[in-house]
Amino acid sequence: MEHPGEGTRNGGSFVVSCESVSFSYPGSGRPALSDVSFELRPGEYVGVVGPNGGGKSTLVRLLNGLLKPDSGRVLVSGRDPATEPFEVRKHLGILFQDPENGLVAPFVEDDVAFGLENLGVPRKEMRDRVAGAIRAVGLEGFERREPDTLSGGEKQRVALAGLLAVEPDILVLDEPTSMLDAAGRREVLAYLETLRAEKTVLHVTHHLEELVRSDRILVLNGGELVADKTPERFFSDADLLRENRLVLPVVQRLALEIGLPPARLRTPEMLAEAILAKTESGTRAG
Amino acid sequence: MRLELRDVRYVYAPGTPFEVEALRGVSLVVEPGEVLGIVGGTGSGKSTLVQHMNLLLTPTGGEVLVDGVDATTLKKSELRRRVGLVFQFPESALFAPTVEEDVAFAPRQLGLDEEEVQERVLESLRALEAGELAARSPFALSGGEKRRAAIAGVLAMKPEVLVLDEPTAGLDPATREDLLALILGLRNAGISVVLVSHDLDEVAEVADRVCALQEGRVRAIGTPAEVFYREPAQAPATVRVASLLRESKPEIGAPVRFAETLDALRALQGA
Amino acid sequence: MTSRSLGQFYPVASPVHDLDPRAKILATAVFVVGLFLIDSTVGLLFVAAALVALVTMSRIPAGTFLLLLRPVLFIVALTVLFQVLFSREGVTLAEWGFFEIRSGGLSLGFFLALRILLLVSSAGLLTATTAPVALADGIEDLLSPLKRVRFPAHEVAMMMTIALRFIPTLGKEAEKIKGAQAARGADFSEGGPLRRARSLVPLLVPLTVGAFRRADELAEAMESRGYRGGEGRTRYRELRFRKRDALALAVTALVLLVGILL
Repeated sequence: MEHPGEGTRNGGSFVVSCESVSFSYPGSGRPALSDVSFELRPGEYVGVVGPNGGGKSTLVRLLNGLLKPDSGRVLVSGRDPATEPFEVRKHLGILFQDPENGLVAPFVEDDVAFGLENLGVPRKEMRDRVAGAIRAVGLEGFERREPDTLSGGEKQRVALAGLLAVEPDILVLDEPTSMLDAAGRREVLAYLETLRAEKTVLHVTHHLEELVRSDRILVLNGGELVADKTPERFFSDADLLRENRLVLPVVQRLALEIGLPPARLRTPEMLAEAILAKTESGTRAG
Repeated sequence: MRLELRDVRYVYAPGTPFEVEALRGVSLVVEPGEVLGIVGGTGSGKSTLVQHMNLLLTPTGGEVLVDGVDATTLKKSELRRRVGLVFQFPESALFAPTVEEDVAFAPRQLGLDEEEVQERVLESLRALEAGELAARSPFALSGGEKRRAAIAGVLAMKPEVLVLDEPTAGLDPATREDLLALILGLRNAGISVVLVSHDLDEVAEVADRVCALQEGRVRAIGTPAEVFYREPAQAPATVRVASLLRESKPEIGAPVRFAETLDALRALQGA
Repeated sequence: MTSRSLGQFYPVASPVHDLDPRAKILATAVFVVGLFLIDSTVGLLFVAAALVALVTMSRIPAGTFLLLLRPVLFIVALTVLFQVLFSREGVTLAEWGFFEIRSGGLSLGFFLALRILLLVSSAGLLTATTAPVALADGIEDLLSPLKRVRFPAHEVAMMMTIALRFIPTLGKEAEKIKGAQAARGADFSEGGPLRRARSLVPLLVPLTVGAFRRADELAEAMESRGYRGGEGRTRYRELRFRKRDALALAVTALVLLVGILL
């Protein structure tokens, strides 16, 4: 197990912490999470990766009290989601994987208002916050649209707006783009990028390219936290990737194979540039 | 079997305010024993096109030909046996108490005797490496397992053409790679595969030919290199990298698959 | 298929459409009760005339509205026939073997038929001029006083809006499953009733299982967004009861009163 917390440190006050958390689903032989400990600092963007069944979804649900740990403790902004779920949910919002099943209301603006309704926010204030959230995800004009007329990317943006309206400090993204097509993924990721500066983000994903600019990447496999690394170290560690059935995207894989740093080369354009630079300097030197 | 679509048009809800022309004259051929990749963004008509291949939808104009014969003259059940269609997220249609019961559905509908049915069930499950799932409930399986069980259910009809609509949607990358390898195995066993996908990298790895759809029309059709290098901005990552290097380093050629792209890049650096 | 096109809602701009749904629901209730208190055909005809005026005001095309009555035509015909053939009131108008057609039968038949048609028309007018979501809101509001006696008014309303939200989704899912099973050789239209019922299993089982999974995920999402029942909840959508709504209600009561007196 690697030294925990290799990533950046800023301040040392923790916004989310898991201390030796373990959890087993009733009736299951194996623990879903086993003695997992980590911390999120304010403003960090942390990725969570690992094979399916490795405990990622379980972890997400422990963070907001949907599940309660069998042992160990979870703290979110100083509160325990197992005992104070309502309070925690004001500060921590989750964007789930299936865009369809997170939308509860017959119209977009009503759905965005749902969280605010639950908090008992007065109507006038709700209208302003809903409008703001809809603007933040670029869906002006969609207020009276019905969910089933929207594309996957649009649905996830509505769900995101619903979370933003509540103004949480922490966003947990549970594979938010897995069920979207390429265009939908680009859309949603573009808006998630804009939140980076303001919120603390925990991003569970299989698409490793989404984590190239994260502060740290946690690897969960078989319920255990097997690594906590910076993107640079993570992307270059072929053994780690292989052992955890993690597949690098094409650009990163090419980079790794030809000896260029995968973490810094996000797009095909960047890779091409780097290759040209390398061959230039190669010919000049040789 | 040679499956041909000739100038196929399709209009949804004609004559109503919701009228939409989804296909505006699509012509393509699925040759025997190949993997044909169909790519295109949302609204390109991919899913509509795919449902014409087994006549779940009948064209508003143009024709669908099976070995030169108009498909509408064939018995529907016969056509659907020869052209197997697997929808996106096919596991949502699993219904039987066990996987083997579910896979047996299609052969039983064909009226085969029980012995033949059982044989087909075993064969199909084995082809999808899902043999050990036979006695399990489809609802208790993981996403990847359910996906393979659903595909086996269509494979049990022994189709000559297998049409897969986004077969790797929602799967994690490792499972995705496993499934693609199984699909190539089917092609090697003689089944033609039509692979509809929004993931260009995936299509780059497995397709023998590619058809790019845009707004209900065929934008380009040919070998992966031909189609992808024509429009490098809308191409798999490998092609995008190579085409950017082409200007200054034309010796890179036109690689499409990962392995050949890597070789080309290594050769470039070695030079 | 959108939830707006569900059932008989006919989206068009009209004074009737603009009325508060609570007023419309109450007016319909008053109407129905009033109908049963009217005992003269003249009274019914008066009320019918008022209803026709209302339908005209709602800008719903006559043809569309009459379609609403189609399902009950059979019952109406049966009622009239029964009265005409078996009533022993009034003067005999014609005879045919055992059956006697009497004036009393005709007039009673007409009366009953008219009442059934008016009942169905009033309900139809309600659903045609009120969007399903508005209806749900109206019902929730009207039932909320019952919260004091532990009636789950909020939960009922929440169930209705969620159902409305998911009907088009489930509809599409059903279409997809049908297509997938048809691709495997399933035939939903073949055979006698028993065979057809059995052929629905490959459609109903996955649809139901899928619906339960959706419900699970939806519940998680709702809880994660702070939902904990109706306690302390505010509402984004607004219902405003205005003077015209009170007026509509009063006029309805008045019309029924006149009908009763006639």
